[in-house]
Order: sequence, then C-alpha cells, then structure tokens
Amino acid sequence: MKYKIVSPRVGTPGDKFEPEAGVNVEALLSHGFIVEDTTPPKSAKTITNNPKD
Amino acid sequence: MATSTYLSNPGVSVNSVSLTDQCTSAVVTNTAEALESTAFGSTSRVFVSGLFSQEITLDLYMSYAASETYATLAALVGTTTTVKVSNTVAGLATPSATEPCFTLTGAYLEALPVINASMGELSTISITFKGGVLTTAVS
Repeated sequence: MKYKIVSPRVGTPGDKFEPEAGVNVEALLSHGFIVEDTTPPKSAKTITNNPKD
Repeated sequence: MATSTYLSNPGVSVNSVSLTDQCTSAVVTNTAEALESTAFGSTSRVFVSGLFSQEITLDLYMSYAASETYATLAALVGTTTTVKVSNTVAGLATPSATEPCFTLTGAYLEALPVINASMGELSTISITFKGGVLTTAVS
C-alpha cells in the first residue's frame, strides 16, 4: 500500500509517505494526516511496429 | 562545565507527526532494572542488570484542531508507536554526535488525558510512553 502526506506535520504535503518501523499507519489515516495513494501506476508504453504507408 | 539550556531547539515527533510546537518538556529515560545478587559473604548489596525499561514523558499543549495534539494521540491509546526526541529539530532528521536522536520503537501509550480544563489557563497534558526498544542515532 502506498500513502501520500496530507499534513505538514508529517512532511511535505503531496510527497510519498514511507512509514518507519513501528509507526501506527491506521492512526495517521484515521485523522487525515496521510491518505492512501490511489494514483494508478503508469502503464508501460507500447511500441508498435506498424509503419505508415 | 557541562550544561544544556533548552530555549526552543528540541524536536519531538510522535507516530511520525511533529509535535515540537506543542511540546514544553520531554524526558527520555533508559532504565536497566536492578536485580539484587547479594549473597552470603557479601558486606554490601550487589546488583546486576535485568530487563531494560524505557520511558518517554512529554508535556504538551492540548489542541483539538485538525492535525494537532488530540488528533495525533487519540488513536494511539492502547497501541504502540514510534516516538523520537532530539535536542534539536535538525537532529530528528539528521542526527549527529552533538544532536543525537533518541527513538523509542514499540512505545506503548497507556493513558491520554482527553481534557484538562482550568479557567484562564492554556490546557496542557502530560503523557508517558512505556516500553519498546530505545535506539540512539548519532549519524
């Protein structure tokens, strides 16, 4: 699961949050300090060998 | 002469949340429990080290605003978390020999005073994290 920082008390808002050992992620989520990052991963570029006429 | 005067430098984070601007006191205690090993023939009491027992006590201003004291601590009661204290704010992120960062991992919060109200005074609370493993980072 990936997380994104919301509160400046945790870090720079918008940055990726990587929990350190022992950090209670549920507590941070429940009070809005961080949110789950639901941004879908970029799909791989598909190169087609379809030369134009 | 070795003295340390704290004006505004120390840094405190609880569960990755910086509470430096709400904290007025932080005490980190590393205790090695004393087990008595005095035996016949001894003329003085003798002790050996037992289990280590850690404690961090914080005095904080209470605030119920979003992302403040109450929001940080409410969900931690009865659970374990990570608490960091350094003699400087910079030491939390980049510790050094003169700015050590004390990290208590697996620290248990037994109790949280949810309200401490007195007329004409800023509300403050005192909380204690117990147990866990204390590490000291100097680099």
